Amino acid sequence: MASSPRTPFAPWDRRELPGKFTVEETARRVGHYKWFEMRMFELMAGWIATIPELDIKLRLGTHSYHHAFHSELWHKRLPELREMNPERKTVAPNPELEAFVTELGAPEGDDKTLEKLVGMYRVALPAVISTYTYHRNNTSKITDSPTIRSLQFCLNDDMEEWVEAEMTIQSLITDADDARRAADRQAELTTLLIAAGGIAGPGSVGSFDLEES
Amino acid sequence: MKTHISPTALARDTRFNRQTSEDRFTDPRSTMEVGHVDPMAEDVGDRARRRMHGIFVGEIQALEGAGRTAFDFPAGDDYANGEIPYELKLDMARQCWDEARHCEISIKLAEHMGGELGEYVENTMLFEAACHNDPVFRLAGVNRALEGLAIDVFTQMRDFGRETGDPVMVYCEDFMLADEVTHVKMGSKWLRAVTENDPERRKSALEFQRVVDGLFNFRGQRGEEYESPIRLARQFRKMAGFTDGEVDVIAEAAAKERAAIEAEQMAASILAE
Repeated sequence: MASSPRTPFAPWDRRELPGKFTVEETARRVGHYKWFEMRMFELMAGWIATIPELDIKLRLGTHSYHHAFHSELWHKRLPELREMNPERKTVAPNPELEAFVTELGAPEGDDKTLEKLVGMYRVALPAVISTYTYHRNNTSKITDSPTIRSLQFCLNDDMEEWVEAEMTIQSLITDADDARRAADRQAELTTLLIAAGGIAGPGSVGSFDLEES
Repeated sequence: MKTHISPTALARDTRFNRQTSEDRFTDPRSTMEVGHVDPMAEDVGDRARRRMHGIFVGEIQALEGAGRTAFDFPAGDDYANGEIPYELKLDMARQCWDEARHCEISIKLAEHMGGELGEYVENTMLFEAACHNDPVFRLAGVNRALEGLAIDVFTQMRDFGRETGDPVMVYCEDFMLADEVTHVKMGSKWLRAVTENDPERRKSALEFQRVVDGLFNFRGQRGEEYESPIRLARQFRKMAGFTDGEVDVIAEAAAKERAAIEAEQMAASILAE
């Protein structure tokens, strides 16, 4: 017996068309994400040997893998966005972001754990979280569901890391000098990131400009 | 950040004491002899704690070494000029996660056994192998030789847990064993892939693996007998991609070293008489 017709979308399903990004724009952003995630996992991995605090070494080992996994998600998404040579899109959006990453990795000594963590977890990671959140909230939940799924995987890891790392940073800041070191480092790197426009270049988290938005 | 750091740059907090490989090999007190962790021995507790501390040291240096390999070499297909496959870097990051968990497990097991971090001296030989300039040598020395050794050690500690009625030990060692089989497989896979068109490089890397295996024979203490201080886990090594022939080579090298040491000891005792 034929059933009576139902609406194709459930009354509670509010997904809409279209999204903010074209296929090409999505591929451009995804390529920048892969490039940045690679730099994050490499730096975290490289720091493990030169950071003396045991608990931090172990957390970096875990976090490094998270970002390697995220870079792989973007690597696999690129061919689905008609980019058959993923390496072509695996680039920084501009030289300013390359300069930011160079500075992010600059602290070398085993007494620079605070600078390393502040750079990664108070500047780089929040930039990733805000960029991914902007992307997730502005793309179409229908046409671009695969990107949203990957963004959500990344954000789940990132939010957990952010909290964990912030608690660690707070445990390292024990006096006014430490507080100043952390603030100076954050300001220095934030300035460089502003020059780059964010991890995906200008427009990483959208715009308040009435015409552009 | 600098690439290719010196092994001496390895950072530790103050509770750890370091011993160089040179110091270890020239120590006249036979500190290379690790001894069988016999469940019936009077000093089994001490031996087991020492072994567990050694496992922790191996795990943390494996974590640090995998991290350096993920960082030191750029992704690309120009293998002759220091590039490595992107997927190999991903595997190294994955190994970081695994080794970090192994550190956590061995710290908790060491506490459970009454031991504490820094109780025994730390030798940095594993990290030294992980600092080789050639990534293929790192794969041969660390992923195949030393992670292969980890397969043997975890199998033995799992069995030790069974013999002493310690289900926590059995459970943990079995999970770590599964990871180590994966790490050896990674090493074999990438060593083959990166040297596919460079047989000389592959040959040299495998020679390096034999040298590392030789150093970790602990003066001939590896073998397949039950009472061997380090028992070769042939079945799990094969699962990880070793051939019977490769396991035979390790066993034979250890047997030769053991025979030479026994002959030396016999000669010394005859002379003393």
